[in-house]
Order: sequence, then C-alpha cells, then structure tokens
Amino acid sequence: MRALRYALDEALVSLGRAGRTALMATATIGVAFFVLGGFLLVLTNLQRVVEDWASSAELSIYLHDETDDEARDRMAERLAGDPAVAGVEFISKAQARGRFQRDFPELADVAEALEENPFPASFEVRLRDGGADDAGAIAAAMEGDPSVADVRYDRRWLSRLSALVAGVRVAGLAVALVLVLGAALTVMAVVRLSLQARRDEIDIMLLVGAPYAYLRGPFIVEGTLQGGLGATLALVVLWGGHMAAGAGLGLTWQALAGTGAIAFLSAWQALSLILAGLVVGALAGMVASRGAR
Amino acid sequence: MIETRGLSKTYGRGVYALRDLTLTIDKGEFVFLTGPSGAGKTTLLRLLLVQERPTEGEVTVGGRNLARLTAAEVQAYRRSVGFVFQDFKLVPRKTVFENVSFVMRVLGTPVEVQRRRTYQVLKQVGLQHRLQAYPAELSGGEQQRVAIARALANEPSLILADEPTGNLDPDLSVEIMTLFRDINASGTTVLVATHDRSLITLTGRRVVHLEHGQAGAPA
Repeated sequence: MRALRYALDEALVSLGRAGRTALMATATIGVAFFVLGGFLLVLTNLQRVVEDWASSAELSIYLHDETDDEARDRMAERLAGDPAVAGVEFISKAQARGRFQRDFPELADVAEALEENPFPASFEVRLRDGGADDAGAIAAAMEGDPSVADVRYDRRWLSRLSALVAGVRVAGLAVALVLVLGAALTVMAVVRLSLQARRDEIDIMLLVGAPYAYLRGPFIVEGTLQGGLGATLALVVLWGGHMAAGAGLGLTWQALAGTGAIAFLSAWQALSLILAGLVVGALAGMVASRGAR
Repeated sequence: MIETRGLSKTYGRGVYALRDLTLTIDKGEFVFLTGPSGAGKTTLLRLLLVQERPTEGEVTVGGRNLARLTAAEVQAYRRSVGFVFQDFKLVPRKTVFENVSFVMRVLGTPVEVQRRRTYQVLKQVGLQHRLQAYPAELSGGEQQRVAIARALANEPSLILADEPTGNLDPDLSVEIMTLFRDINASGTTVLVATHDRSLITLTGRRVVHLEHGQAGAPA
C-alpha cells in the first residue's frame, strides 16, 4: 500500500514533468482505442440489424403457372399449420405485376406491353420471432413440391451478410490490435524517456536500498494512468461522435436499417475498453521499467 | 564486520582491479583505504555495496556473503549500510528532508519518527535549518553533510565513504573527517577511501594501503 501510494505520487509528478510528451502518448493510445471502440460500435449496430432482419426473415415461394387452385389451397393450409409461420399471403400473378408497376413506375409500360404476364404467383410467408431457424426446413420441404418453381429465402443472404459482418469484425479487430500495439509501444517509449531522465535518481535509490516496488512502481503506474486516460478519452470522443451521428444520420439509419436509433456501447463494453487501456498501459510500463535496476 | 578472503576482481581481458585481497575490519573500527588512482579502492567499495560481484574469493559483511545475495536481499543489505560519495549523490528534485528520510519512508517508519530522526541527524551535521532546501541551493560542503546525514538516518552499523572530501576545500574536508570520527565514536564502523594523506595523518587511524589491487605497505 505504501509502495502504491509512493508510486502514484511519483507517477503524477513524472507525468506533470513530461508534459507534452506524456500528452502525446495519451493521445496516441486514445486514437488506438477510438478506432477499437469505433469498430465495436459499428459492429454492434450492424450485428443488431442483422439479428433484427434475421428474426423477421421471410420466405417467398414462387409457383408454376400451371398450379391449380386445389394444389395452391393445400399448400396454403400446410404453410399456415406450421408452428414457425406467423402468416401467409398469396400474391396472384396479376397482383405481382401490379406490385412491379407500382415499385418501378418507369417500367410499368414495358410490363403492360408484354403479351403474357411473366410474374409468377407466390406465397409470402412471415416467420415467427425465432422461427427463422426453422425456415431452412420449410424452404427445403417446399422446394420438393412439384407446384413450386423457386423458393427465395431472406435467410440465405442474411447468412452471407452475417458472414461479411464477421469478416469485417476480424479485420477491424486486427487493425485495432495493431493500433493498440503501436499505442503500447508509444507508452513504453515515453516511460523509457522518463526513466532515462531519472536515471541518476534511480541509481541513487538503488544505492540507498530502495525496494524494486519503489523503483519500478512509479513507471508502471505512469503507463497505467496513460493507458486508462487514453481509453477514457477515446470513449468520450466516441460518445460525442455517436451523439453527432445520431443527430445527423439517425433518421437515415432508422429508415435503412429498420431498427431503432444507433446504439452506443453497452456499459460492460465501455468498461472493458477502459480496463483494456489500463492493462495495455500497465504492461507497457512494466516492460519499460525493467530498465530500473 | 568486514572480511575478504582471496578477493579478486578482473575487468575486460583479465585486468585485475583487486588481486587476492584478504582483509579484516573489526566492528567499530575506523579504517582509511588509501593508494594511488587505479589501486582498487573504488572497486573494493563497489564490491562492498554489491554494485559488482567478485571474480574470485569472497567478501562478507556482518557474516553475510555478499556474492550470494539475491537482488531483493541486496537492496535490504544496502538499507543497513550508509554510503557517502565524492559527488554526494543527492536526488536533485527532493528536499534535504526528503533525501534524508527516504530510506525511513521506504521502510514504513511512522512519519513522526521520520521527522524526529531526520532533524536529529541533520542537527548532528549542523544543517537542521536547511530541511526544506533543495540540493542545488546548498554549497558542496553542505551537500556532503546532507549525504552523511542520509547515511546516518537508518542507524547503520557500517558507513562506506569513497573520496568524501574530493570535491571540498581543505577546511571543509577537516570538518567532514571530524564528523566521521564522531560517528565512529558512537560505535559505527567507518571505511573511508581517500588519497589525501594530510587527512589520514590528522585523523590518525588504521590505514589499509592498496597498490595494484593488493594490500601492502605505503611507499
């Protein structure tokens, strides 16, 4: 406890003396953690969107033109009876063409000019929350029905999107880790500079028999403080950026993603970032302070 | 108190700084270590402070074989020894009080005891009025007296001094030697390395003369 108090006192004095250099190191670690936190923020929101979309995934079952009413009704009954299905809507060929003309008004004439209606009739199946996992089984069963021409299943592209998000997460974490490593090296360099500046003092302390906790402690605490401050600074800037983005892009995001407002990092994520900053700083300080002997 | 047996220290390609030195200094003795530059005085003191390890032989202080101490034990041992150097070795950014009380602080001595003891040793060296001064604000003689006060603070049984008057004028040198004599009178073993023969003559204590790393009779 005595050594910790001494280390804290000395570290604060040393940081005060290092001034701009210490500030630069703190800013560097802040930038690294800003990137790391930024990635975390973007990925958390993307993940949420993918999960939302996945939970409301739909199946579109396209029918052959020659499918008779009896077969169609049988299929509607079968789908409605499935526990994973929340609702079934039949879209006739005429309704499908009408929907196309409404969605693409500039091509409406083209669709009208065709002698035969090329749009197939279909069932649009809404799945219950959590029922998306059963969608694969439903899709597989429908694909085996002779009346069915094709099954389009949102889950397939959602899986691809999910895989893409996972890929981005790995790449993002790799970049952030490199930046964090760079920040740790900067903290190490600053602590080493501080150690060199106090070399004579350390030699004297060695000669009077100062325990190693007193010799190395101040440098470890110095690194820890820089790491923690840098990560906290990054969180504050990230919060500011999140608020600004919420004000500027909030509605666009909600329209695009179909989810609520852009979410900030959870309390444990924010806490983990600060903790990571403290640990990175402490490790950098610990490595750098090995010269204090 | 101090015993060396066949103590040798070589540097580089077998250059002997100390060669087969066997020496005994009893508890409570005042011994001058003398000899020309390069005779091995500083090397012996460095070995006694465990700044160096012997190449051959052994050195024991108070029964402890210094070559066998671990890093943490070395620090604990150093806290039991007072040292005084030619260049004072005071921490420039600490006040006189902080410099003198540092070891007591490290050892967890209560603040009140730290204050009392620091005042006491500073009074012993005549600097009790400079408690809050920084080393840069003191003269060379005053800085050396602070270094002596620091060496005394933890009531060591042994004080090592390497050319303690090397940076001081003759009057101050006598003053410092008088201090060492007083310290010795209270039972502390004192080993002073110096090449100043007038001080040795004036103080009149046992002399160990080193030449080429070996003990011998002065020329």
